[in-house]
Amino acid sequence: MNLKDLSIKRKLMLITMLTSGLAVVLSSAGFLIYDLISFRQSLSQDLMTQAEIIGYNSAAAMAFKDESAATVTLSALQAKDDIVSAVLYTREGKIFTQYVHAKAARRDFPSPPQARGYRFEGSYLEVFRDVTLNGEPVGTLFLQSDMRQWNSRAKRYATIFLSFVLISGFFALIVSSKLQKLISGPILHLEDTMRMVSATKSYEVRATRFYGDEIGRLIDGFNTMLSEIQQRDTALHHANDELQTRTLELEGEIVHRKEMQKELLDAKHAAEDANRAKSAFLANMSHELRTPLNAIIGYSEMLEEETHELGKVESVKDLQKIQKAGKHLLSLINDVLDLSKIEAGRMGLHLETFEISPMIEEMVATLRPALSKNCNTVQVHLAEQLGVMRADITKVRQILFNLLSNACKFTDHGTISVDVNRGSDQGEEWIRFQVTDSGIGINAKQKANLFQEFTQADVSIARKYGGTGLGLAISYRYARLMKGRISVESEPGQGSVFTVHLPAKVTAEITGATPAEKANDVPAASPGMKSNLDTILVIDDDSTVRDLMSRFLTKLGFHVVAAASGEEGLRLAKQVNPLVVTLDVIMPDCDGWAVLNKLKADPELAEIPVIMVTVVDNESMGFELGASSYMIKPVDRDRLAILIEKHRLTRSSAVMDAQAFAASRRDASPKKDGGRVKRTATRNDRKTAAPIK
Amino acid sequence: MPKILLIEDNEMNMDMLSRRLERKGYCVVTAHDGEEGHLMAHSESPDIILMDISLPVMDGWEVTRLLKANEATRHIPIIALTAHALVTDRAKAFEVGCDDYDTKPVEFGRLSEKIENLLLVRKSS
Repeated sequence: MNLKDLSIKRKLMLITMLTSGLAVVLSSAGFLIYDLISFRQSLSQDLMTQAEIIGYNSAAAMAFKDESAATVTLSALQAKDDIVSAVLYTREGKIFTQYVHAKAARRDFPSPPQARGYRFEGSYLEVFRDVTLNGEPVGTLFLQSDMRQWNSRAKRYATIFLSFVLISGFFALIVSSKLQKLISGPILHLEDTMRMVSATKSYEVRATRFYGDEIGRLIDGFNTMLSEIQQRDTALHHANDELQTRTLELEGEIVHRKEMQKELLDAKHAAEDANRAKSAFLANMSHELRTPLNAIIGYSEMLEEETHELGKVESVKDLQKIQKAGKHLLSLINDVLDLSKIEAGRMGLHLETFEISPMIEEMVATLRPALSKNCNTVQVHLAEQLGVMRADITKVRQILFNLLSNACKFTDHGTISVDVNRGSDQGEEWIRFQVTDSGIGINAKQKANLFQEFTQADVSIARKYGGTGLGLAISYRYARLMKGRISVESEPGQGSVFTVHLPAKVTAEITGATPAEKANDVPAASPGMKSNLDTILVIDDDSTVRDLMSRFLTKLGFHVVAAASGEEGLRLAKQVNPLVVTLDVIMPDCDGWAVLNKLKADPELAEIPVIMVTVVDNESMGFELGASSYMIKPVDRDRLAILIEKHRLTRSSAVMDAQAFAASRRDASPKKDGGRVKRTATRNDRKTAAPIK
Repeated sequence: MPKILLIEDNEMNMDMLSRRLERKGYCVVTAHDGEEGHLMAHSESPDIILMDISLPVMDGWEVTRLLKANEATRHIPIIALTAHALVTDRAKAFEVGCDDYDTKPVEFGRLSEKIENLLLVRKSS
């Protein structure tokens, strides 16, 4: 392990130990060296003193060349263990006598004697000294000491030093291990705390501050940081909780909204259904009312002719009254039907281009008897070069007819004038029809409800002048349908001016339809235009049926696209927009009923007639879901050919005149038409017991 | 005496219309549904056919289409009669091959004019 990566505790101890160890070693070594040097000094002084004594003692023997005496003197050195050898030299430098310690090995002596004084030679201390007698040199003395004392002293010192270092080191270890906790303790505690915080993510933990030193301040800082984080964490938690609560609330809200939306949608569908039911009821009702009326008018006309031939004039008049009442009733029924159709957005426009002037003149001519009935004068002012307009001529006629008959009705001995001119406004050409009368006029309050259905200016008016009050309402709606408008200016007793503005070129877009019906209805002409009138989509999971149908229909000149499943059929229907779809019922996954449902629910596909071709005998289910025809397998090919040809004719006529098509779909979509016809058929099947097979 | 085939499922309308036509001097044969009408157009060889559109078994459009597709009956003029004065019915009537078209309740004067016209056209051709 790297030294630097040691724990603080160890580092601290190591530093302490090294520092104290170094101090002990250095100081002890200094002392030791000093002691050993001074000891050597004193040793050499000692030896010098010995040499002086021995020289003094042997001086006489030297002077008298008494060798034995000198040897005795030297032998006295035996008491001294450290002196290894001693030599006395003559003045000439020759060895006079010598001494060697008994325990020492014999050795050679330096000859002649060297410089006076002491020196260290190897592990020996040597001294040369002159031997003098009365100030006269007589010889030289050599002493050699083996420094035994110094060595043993040095050894002792070394032992003491070592044990001292060891003991002091041991104590230093104990002390430092105790004291390092002062520093490492708080740091380790801080580390523990940090580890705990990061492990538990709990910011409530605080590190304990032990001392006021830097670490203490560090811990303070750490605690401050923690509490700050804790605050933020708490705030974050609060925010998070709030967010969750809000999210839950929002989710609840969304669920609530969705429920509401669903309820609204259901309500809307219910309303639309109700509206459709109303329209259907009105249409059926008017049909049912017309049938007996047909008989009433027809028979009374017949009777009138017969009685006329028989010459019974009174009866003729009565019969004419019946006829008149019948025809009035018929016109009322027609008005109600028209209005219901407009309301349901099913009133279409049959646009054609026509000359305006002849139309007006023709109309005034037919109305002239009625116009002059109350002794009124009629004036027609047609602007020059009125030219042509493109509109639904029947509806333009009916608007003008309503306005003119009202004018006649409410004017007596007055003037009725018709003004027609052409103008342009905001880049669009308009035709303005104005019907002015000098009749009874209408007041402001009556004006407000004038174009509302079933409201006449006054209840008394109905009694006096008759009428349903639907004429103006229908006219108003017709004008709106053609993107035009009707306005009225009138003062009671001052007559009225009705002005109709119609675009010179009416476009096929239906303005009278409510958004609901628009959404529900088939979009304007375009999908029909794109329809492949020679393509038939065969949806059947049985490959034999697909093959047979394809062969048969191809022979008839149609292009056949076959689908083996409901899903594929739906996809292909969108892709090719076929003339007719033949649809099997029993198929895996998505059965024929489901396919039919989806086809009829898609505004782009709803208009495609669907012929059910199946073994399932449930015709009413088929028609309920919007099928055009129902065929039981095995297929009657002739009937299938007839049915397809019928649809081809219907739809090709639609394509030929897009406007008429747009109008026609609203009057009687293929689905509704087929449904109606077939419902009649089924009803009669039961009666005649001759079902289609 | 021109022979008229009246195909109509409503008894009262049929009675009324046939009697009035007879009074006008036509010979009237009647059929109650599309299939019967179709058969009678072949068997009776009428000079003109008055065809109601909402018919049981086979509707007026289908009968008209069949008759107009057949060489033997193609020449017989057909006047379609519908209960609703719808733009589509009118367009459809001419598309499937009707020679004329009128709405119910019929205005007898107008209808007899149309019959006369078609008979004249046929006679002249």
